Amino acid sequence: MSPILRYLRVIWQIIRKDIRLEWRGRQGVPVMLVFSLLVVFLFNFALQLSPDLQAGLAAGLLWVSLAFAATLGLNRSISLERESGALDGLLLAPVDRSAIFFGKSLSNFLFTSLVALVLLPVFSLFYGNNILNLSLILIVLLGVGATTSLGTLLAALSIQTRTRDVLLPVLLYPLALPILIAAVEASRGVLSGRALSDSRNWILLLLACDVLFTAAGLMFFETILEE
Amino acid sequence: MKRKLEISSAQITIRGLVKRYHYQPVLDNLSLTVEDGDFCVLVGANGAGKTTLLRIIASLVRPDSGEILLGDDLLGVNPQLRQRIGFVSHQPMFYQDLTAIENLRHYARLYQTSRVDETINNGIRSAGLSQHLNKPLRAYSRGMQQRLSIARALLHDPVILLFDEPYTGLDQDAARFLDGKLKQLHQPGRAILLAAHRPQRLLPIASHIAWLKDGKIIQHLPISCLSESPELEQYLQEVA
Repeated sequence: MSPILRYLRVIWQIIRKDIRLEWRGRQGVPVMLVFSLLVVFLFNFALQLSPDLQAGLAAGLLWVSLAFAATLGLNRSISLERESGALDGLLLAPVDRSAIFFGKSLSNFLFTSLVALVLLPVFSLFYGNNILNLSLILIVLLGVGATTSLGTLLAALSIQTRTRDVLLPVLLYPLALPILIAAVEASRGVLSGRALSDSRNWILLLLACDVLFTAAGLMFFETILEE
Repeated sequence: MKRKLEISSAQITIRGLVKRYHYQPVLDNLSLTVEDGDFCVLVGANGAGKTTLLRIIASLVRPDSGEILLGDDLLGVNPQLRQRIGFVSHQPMFYQDLTAIENLRHYARLYQTSRVDETINNGIRSAGLSQHLNKPLRAYSRGMQQRLSIARALLHDPVILLFDEPYTGLDQDAARFLDGKLKQLHQPGRAILLAAHRPQRLLPIASHIAWLKDGKIIQHLPISCLSESPELEQYLQEVA
């Protein structure tokens, strides 16, 4: 078997294992979903905004709830690997450890995207946006991709500390600020009816974050886990 | 020059290994060779660095300096070298919500073993767990998990086996199973390094003993020559 195929098969095996664990435990995606929906409900009823203000704040609320959901998912993803030393089992595999980063990162991306897929229609119900807004879906996928790449790397860092549950959001949110700003600005543009090309610079920033944090994961994931 | 991984030798050579945690040396210029066919018991007090040494050989921890060779190949360069290593830790390394068969299948795929189903069935049969195939690991006792852990470590037929305190928490039946398994695994073409705080039950099975103290191997000798080292004999009596 060619090395590339071996590498891809390990990535796929990690994703498949995470999906199976999620299906068996049903403790990750449902909790993320309920939490993000609660954030949307709470903000909607607590702030009692006028329709004009709602439109302005909608993008921010969407990304706050997605960022919280992603943090919950990442914490769950760490605890699964920590339990009974399963992470050591992954690290013993005879393959470049960047495959583990890709596998974990992609399964985190998959679960957070799934939450976003349910959240968007609910969101449009409250804030009157078009559900089938492909531009918004593209922005969500880019933003979630960058957040989960960065989050997976930071989760590897925090797994070795006693304060891992608290440390992850403390590290993630400041570093994810460029992602969140770009995602909020791009989403705001699309939600206010402008063309996607008008948010070109924000989309490019999101793309740059995707590339940067994936590259950082490839470079530092193994070192972080071995230390 | 490209090395052929197929020509693997089950010899572990450790030279000048140093590892510090928070500036405190845990391993201090440690050197040790475990030959092909050796079953070496690593003894030492709690905190002596036994686990750290095994985790470095398993390439789970990066040393500060020094080198480890598996056969002729330097560890840490080619990830494929990990194919030669089987590691049984005191943690079972299983996902507790998955069944035994799902866990083993996961590892067999990670190791890209050929004939996955046959390998898994053999592993489960040799662990004596055929009756419990479809139970989640959460329902397994410590002894059952440890048996399955050995089956997991052997899935890819490694030539180097590392055991870290494998008797911890085992009942008499599980400990006897482990004795038998270790006897069976001790054969030419394979090297075994087993860390144990209380090694008495291993002395009749193992071939060598290494004493780790102050970050160094201060004694390494065949068990048949144990009487030549009164200090080690005394230490073994103290920890018995």
